[in-house]
Formats: sequence, C-alpha cells, structure tokens
Amino acid sequence: MSRTPLVKLVNVSKSFGRVYALEGINLELYPGEIVSLVGDNGAGKSTLTKIISGTEKPDSGSEIYFKGDLVRNWNSAKARTLGIETVHQNRALSEQQSIYANVFLGREKTNALGFVKRKEEIAQTEKLMRTIGYTSKVWTPSSSVNKLSGGERQGVAISRAILFDSQLVLLDEPTTAMALSEAAEVMDFIRNLKQEGRSVIFISHNPWDAHAVADRFVILERGKVVFDAPKGDMTADQFVAHLHNFAKK
Amino acid sequence: MSASKKLQIPEKLRPVVGASIFFFIMIIAFMITSPGVFLDFGIYTAVFLSLPLFTIVGLGLVYITVAGEIDLSFPSIIALSGLAFAWTLEQTQLNFGIAAIAAIVVGTACGYINGLLVTKLGLSSLITTLGMNFALIGLTNILNRGEVRMLSDMDGTWVRRIVVGSWGPIPAQMFWSLGVALVLGLILHRHKFGIHVHVAGDNPEAGRAMGVNIERTKTLAFVIVGITSAITAMIAILLNSTYFATMGEGYLLPVLAAVFVGGTPVTGGRGTIGGLVIGAATVVFIQVGVVASGLDGYWTSLGFGLVIVLSLLGHRWFSGRLTR
Repeated sequence: MSRTPLVKLVNVSKSFGRVYALEGINLELYPGEIVSLVGDNGAGKSTLTKIISGTEKPDSGSEIYFKGDLVRNWNSAKARTLGIETVHQNRALSEQQSIYANVFLGREKTNALGFVKRKEEIAQTEKLMRTIGYTSKVWTPSSSVNKLSGGERQGVAISRAILFDSQLVLLDEPTTAMALSEAAEVMDFIRNLKQEGRSVIFISHNPWDAHAVADRFVILERGKVVFDAPKGDMTADQFVAHLHNFAKK
Repeated sequence: MSASKKLQIPEKLRPVVGASIFFFIMIIAFMITSPGVFLDFGIYTAVFLSLPLFTIVGLGLVYITVAGEIDLSFPSIIALSGLAFAWTLEQTQLNFGIAAIAAIVVGTACGYINGLLVTKLGLSSLITTLGMNFALIGLTNILNRGEVRMLSDMDGTWVRRIVVGSWGPIPAQMFWSLGVALVLGLILHRHKFGIHVHVAGDNPEAGRAMGVNIERTKTLAFVIVGITSAITAMIAILLNSTYFATMGEGYLLPVLAAVFVGGTPVTGGRGTIGGLVIGAATVVFIQVGVVASGLDGYWTSLGFGLVIVLSLLGHRWFSGRLTR
C-alpha cells in the first residue's frame, strides 16, 4: 500500500517494572479502515489502546507517527486534537439526561454567558445520529438516554466520538454484555463510521464480532503482535481457528 | 395519534404538574373545611409573607439535591449569615450594601467549606452538613452572646420598602423570590453549569470521562445553598426588623419537604425549580392554614407528614418511577 498511514506505531513498548505489557509493537492504521484487535485477557489490548489515545505513556524508544510525521510527547490532549477519540467500555453516559446533552457533555455549545445553544446542539445531534445509522424514529435528540436500548446507548457514545470530525475511533469492547440484536446494531454503527471515511480500532473478546466488521485483524499475544493480515476471504471459522492456534502456544 | 397520546404530559413537566394538582386539591379541601378563612384574601397575604423565605433557600436545596448531595446545615447558615447582616448594619449605621456583602460572604464561605469537606475529603454530605449545622449554630451563639438585635431604625428606609414593602396586596419579597427562582431555574436547565450539576448527581464518572470538573461543580452547588440561605436571612431580618440567633429554626424540615413534595427525587440527577415553588407553597399553606382554620398548632406536623407521604405516592403514580 502506498498510502500514508493515519497512525503508525514503531517499536512501541510499555513495561510495568520488569514486566512487559507491550513489546516492540509495529502497527499501521490506514484511513477508512476497521482493524479488529483481538487477544486473550492480559494480551495488551487495553494498554495498546490507552497508548494510542494518549492516556498511557509508552516507554522511551517508542515512536508514534501521525500522517507520516513523528509526534513527540504523545498525550491525550494531542491525540484528541488530532482527532482520536475513545469510546469507553462503561459507556460514560449520564442516563437521566438527554441524548444531546450527553453528546455535548463537557464540550457544550454556549453563548458568551455560558447558556447552552440548544437548537444548534439538537440539530447537530440529529445529524450525527443519522450519520451513524440511527433508524428508530421513536427517539429524538431530546429523549433521555435511559429510554434507549443498550445498542442505542452505545450509539450515543459513538456519535459523541465523531462529534468533532474525529478520524480514528477506538472502541473498547463496545458489545460486552449486550443482547445479540443490540450488538448487531452497534456493528452497523461501526460500519457506518467506515463509510464516513473514519478509521476504527475495534477491540473485542468475541472473535465473531471481530470478524464481522474487520478489514484487517491484529492478534496480540503476551504484548506482541503475532498476527497482522487483511481479512481477505478468511472465513469466521478460519479466523477462530487461527486464534485458538495462538492461544495454545 | 390516539387520544391517550394527545393527553400525554412531557416527562420533564410531570413533577410540576403532579405537585400542582396536589396543591390545588389541598387548597380546595381547606376551602371546603373552613371557607371563612380560605375564601378571604387575608390568608393569602399571610402566606405570601413567609413563602418567599422558604422558596429562596429551597432553590439552593434543589441544586444540591440534583447534584446528588444533601445539605442539612442551611438553618445555621441562615443564623450565621443573618448575624453578619445584622451586626454590620449596627456597625455601619445601616449601610445595607456592606451588610449584604458581609452576609453573602459568610454564606458563600459556609457553602465552600461544606463543599471542600465533601468533595476533597470524600465525606458523606449528610453527616458532614449535620455536623456543620451544629458547629455553625454554636459559632453563631458564641458570637452573638444571646443578644436580640433590634433594628427598628430601618423601618422607614427605602431598602426595606423595596425588598419587603407591599406592591399592591402582594408583598414585594414574593416578586423577588420568583425572580431568583427564574434566574436559578434558567441556570439549572439551560446553562452549562446546570447540566454539569445534573451529571454530577446522575453519573459523576461519565462527567469526569468527558472532562467535567465534578468536584468543582458540587462545591459550587454547596455555595449556592450558602448564598440562598444568606438571602433568606436578609429578607427575614428586613421583614422583622429584628435579629435573633434562633431565626434559622423551623426551616430544616419544611424546606426539605418543599423540595421533595415539589417532585425533586432524593436520588440526584433530576430536579425541578417550578416544582419547588409549588412544594414551598404547599408547605407554607399547611403551616398557615392549620393555624388559621382554628386547629391546634400540633396538627401542623400531622398535616406535613400526610402531605409528604401522599405527594410522594402521587409523584410515583404520576411519573411511574420517581424516588425509586
């Protein structure tokens, strides 16, 4: 591929004392690509996403490039300005508040006195909900979040992640503890993100979910990338078999 | 659209509508049982005299309840900030501006201390403010030394006429309290800070994850209780032209009742300013009404108890899931 990767990790390591959580990771993420990051508990998936989102500092010698340029002192503020957003495992929604209040939480559109420009927020939320594929007509941006299904709630969190034209969305186990239909809904949201030209890193325990949305698989095992290949015509069963192979070693 | 759909009341308005229905049923009941009193305008003037006091401090309590905390120290903040107001008036030959600043500063400081204790040290707000209620009334008594401060010199002043004079048959403080309710209502429901207050009480972790300073938000909510307590103290002193250290007594339970009767749930994350105004009116009507209708004052507490329990049941029935 001759395109410039959106984010490129070169020799990224993270150690806690003498234990390596990540060891010499090299990874390239291209625009409009969904990468499924899979691996067992403790394989380093969370640490890797935390490094990409800037909440965890990698060891010295690690290099992170954004659109071909080396970024020094990578941190969460820099990551956010460059358009990297994380959707947290625990959704981080205030469920008694409206959808639009949640989407704009902490980044409210206000006038000079700090009063919220509701019309603008509502209109923009509506657009975002349509972008990621909210089909239900029952809910409006003013509905409170506790009226939504688990999948739709995750949709609110995903809408929030693309609010400011983010280019890379990190989804940390977005379908955990969800009913199948809800998880399917979330998968649709993720596919719509790709259609919008955004990159996605999808972290999951569930190999079938990971297979369903991915363009490329990255398997982590004990802090190392042990497999990195495009999906191609690999079936879900073959992918699961692959995973089992690595787990056995 | 079916008929039942057309009649649906927006969820946000339900607590207010519920509290209003309850209020009017109560008034009608009073009118039927003692028409001589409740069909006369005099009783309403009596209600309008004290209603603003309960309303204003109740507004602060709505903020702290929505923020997921509670403040039981406001009666003593009223006493202490009232002392600051009265003492400064005495020392400055009735300089109302300086005295008001003194009262607001004391109220703000008390709220700020509450806020720091709860957010920085992680103490329970229920116990912290219970302790502060004792500590602050103790401090008030130590400073005041049991004096009753007569401020009858201010009777003819323009400040007194503007703040607690009569605008037609209605006491001026009624309009002031509605003004404060309007401003605090706008901030709670339309301002960025109000949204953060809601989130602080609903899911503080969600707020933190999105960069909202939850500790500062809660501390400011405590400060609002302090400031509304100070405003209540000032109006009460202007009204009576007297300061006594027990002036905060009798607020604690009625004001809390007004908040909850108004439809703000104890669980945080939701609340209503309109409901508080109705709730305060309900509470004050019971106080004034029981006495005016010739019943023994002892009946007031029984009336309160019934109203609180019945109104909670009403809200539950009305909104389906309140207070659970």
